[in-house]
Amino acid sequence: MYQEELLENEQVEKVLSPHPLSFMRLQSLCIFLIVWGVLVGWFVNFSEYQEFFFENFWAVILVWGFGLLLVGVIASLITIRWSIFFLYLGVLVGGIAIMFWIGDQNDAGVFIPFYSVAMSIIGFLIVELYRRSHKYIISNQRIVFKGGVLTKQERTLRYDKVSDINSKQGILGQIFGFGTIIPISQSGFGLGSDSSFAAGGIQVGEKKAKFMGIFGGGREVQTPRARSYYELHGVHPYKDVKKIVERLVQGSVIVPYQQEQVAFQKEQVDIQKQMRDLLKKQTKSDDGETPKE
Amino acid sequence: MAGSPIDIIVFAPLAPLFGVILFWFIQLLFIESQKYLLSKIRPKHEPLCRFTNFLGILFQTICHALGYTVTKSGISSFYISINYGKVAPKKEKKGVFEWLSNGFLFIGPFFIPSSLLLICLYFLMSSGFDTSIPGTVIEMEYTFAGQMITFGTNLYTFSEGFFGFLFNIDLLHPAHFGFVLLLIFIGMGIRPSHIGEKKREKVDMLYDLKNIKNNILHKPLYLFILFLMSYVFFYVSLLLNQNWYVSLFSIVGWLSIIAIVSLAVTHIILLLIRTTDEIPGYWKFIPYVVILVSYVVMRLVFFLFPADFTNSTSLLAMILSTILSVILLLKYKTNKFKTKTPMKSLRKLKTEDETDVPRRIIRE
Repeated sequence: MYQEELLENEQVEKVLSPHPLSFMRLQSLCIFLIVWGVLVGWFVNFSEYQEFFFENFWAVILVWGFGLLLVGVIASLITIRWSIFFLYLGVLVGGIAIMFWIGDQNDAGVFIPFYSVAMSIIGFLIVELYRRSHKYIISNQRIVFKGGVLTKQERTLRYDKVSDINSKQGILGQIFGFGTIIPISQSGFGLGSDSSFAAGGIQVGEKKAKFMGIFGGGREVQTPRARSYYELHGVHPYKDVKKIVERLVQGSVIVPYQQEQVAFQKEQVDIQKQMRDLLKKQTKSDDGETPKE
Repeated sequence: MAGSPIDIIVFAPLAPLFGVILFWFIQLLFIESQKYLLSKIRPKHEPLCRFTNFLGILFQTICHALGYTVTKSGISSFYISINYGKVAPKKEKKGVFEWLSNGFLFIGPFFIPSSLLLICLYFLMSSGFDTSIPGTVIEMEYTFAGQMITFGTNLYTFSEGFFGFLFNIDLLHPAHFGFVLLLIFIGMGIRPSHIGEKKREKVDMLYDLKNIKNNILHKPLYLFILFLMSYVFFYVSLLLNQNWYVSLFSIVGWLSIIAIVSLAVTHIILLLIRTTDEIPGYWKFIPYVVILVSYVVMRLVFFLFPADFTNSTSLLAMILSTILSVILLLKYKTNKFKTKTPMKSLRKLKTEDETDVPRRIIRE
């Protein structure tokens, strides 16, 4: 499959893809959706509070929506990705729209668990599709990162361009033996930054004359980070892959001793060239002819 | 006070202590048995064993950190992985503080995780937390026997409520289901099976006992003070005619019972895993599907046709159908329960015809 893409003398060492549990951050969003949907269903239908929810459509929606959006906001703030909040908002709006479309709002307590499970299954499938789109090819000359569900992305990294290797393994990774390896290139590809910003505002004046100012400060810390398409994300078996990558990177790096040897060989070549030139001059003066090249 | 003064002054305070030690030893034996089971399934279930080990290390590290917090040593670093955990104090305190934090490290993991379950049970169980005053149980009051019986009565009352709750647990109730999950997790990780990547430092019963013994013998004076304090506490309870002393030890006994039950539940799960490993292919997943399906079906049946004891009957049906499915799968999908020819006659047959016998057995 990859043979036609190989360079001259290139051999594939390993073809990898992320571990099924390596996208647990995304999968946990779906798990929460199921858990919360089922919990709401239980509260509405079987708990001691069922009378409160009986034929009270907006109360059910309020409880369900509040839980979804609250977790959405918290998760978005932690991961600094507002897409999670909008995802849950979309699920909520979609659910309400379907309930109105069906016209059976009184059965919200039955609809919500089933709808949540259905949405979660779709979510799991999308995550799985996304995971399967990743392909990492480790050859003896380079690492090829491939991915993309609709738009195909590809990154090729030669080992001599790798300046640093960052690797991390979470608790789930330690249990199941997978982890992420980020090769950082000399151009800084594979580096991200964590930035924090604090701001404060002040308003002076009570009636007409007002003055407002905002002041603040921020700091930025560089950290190894890349999109899952551009790193060896959740590869299994982590330790073996890490060893292979480090060996290959190490193999293409010139160590100080080798550098000395190269300098020494260059010196030798220069001396030989000088000697050859001298010999040529000598022969020319002896024979009085131009020597053949 | 009917007992002799020596009995009341010297021996009576020891009674609940002996009871606690007895239950703790039972807990240790269960832990050893669980580690044996885990070691048996380790080759096929490496991630599960890593997970249980992580849980064990997590509890142990939390207990150690709790020890440093209680002794006001502070925590400067907290590291945890699936093989190893480490907590470093901010201030290296010596003497009684060091002794106490070590006590938390060595004894804490046996009782602190199950105290989480005890808190949950307090909200879930309807009865079982009543403790009795010695004088009301038997005629003999604060004697060794009286204290022992009071301790036993407290444990019995709790066990009755606890087992009643377990046998009537509603697995479709989110709180009950969460409790069962916590029970399994705590049972699995009550102690780590090993520390270090290649089982260099095995944590077994002897290792625990050796550490506790060293901690006690290292500072015998502290142990003496602890005993003295407990005796004083007993005398105060006696003078005020309260059940404080025996109740305190009863709580520790409850924690041991919870830990033993969680270990027993984990044993059943590990045995199921070990047995299903012998079943080839995807058939091995059938018993796990049966667990889920049988319970839900039974609950649905009882939802449509209401009856008494729905929870316990559904639980019983789930257990029985799982056992039955495992037995059937072992019978039809493995070579177990298939030897129709007795072993002695098999040997005879072998001597008669070496080549023909195996074929005949396979055909049978």
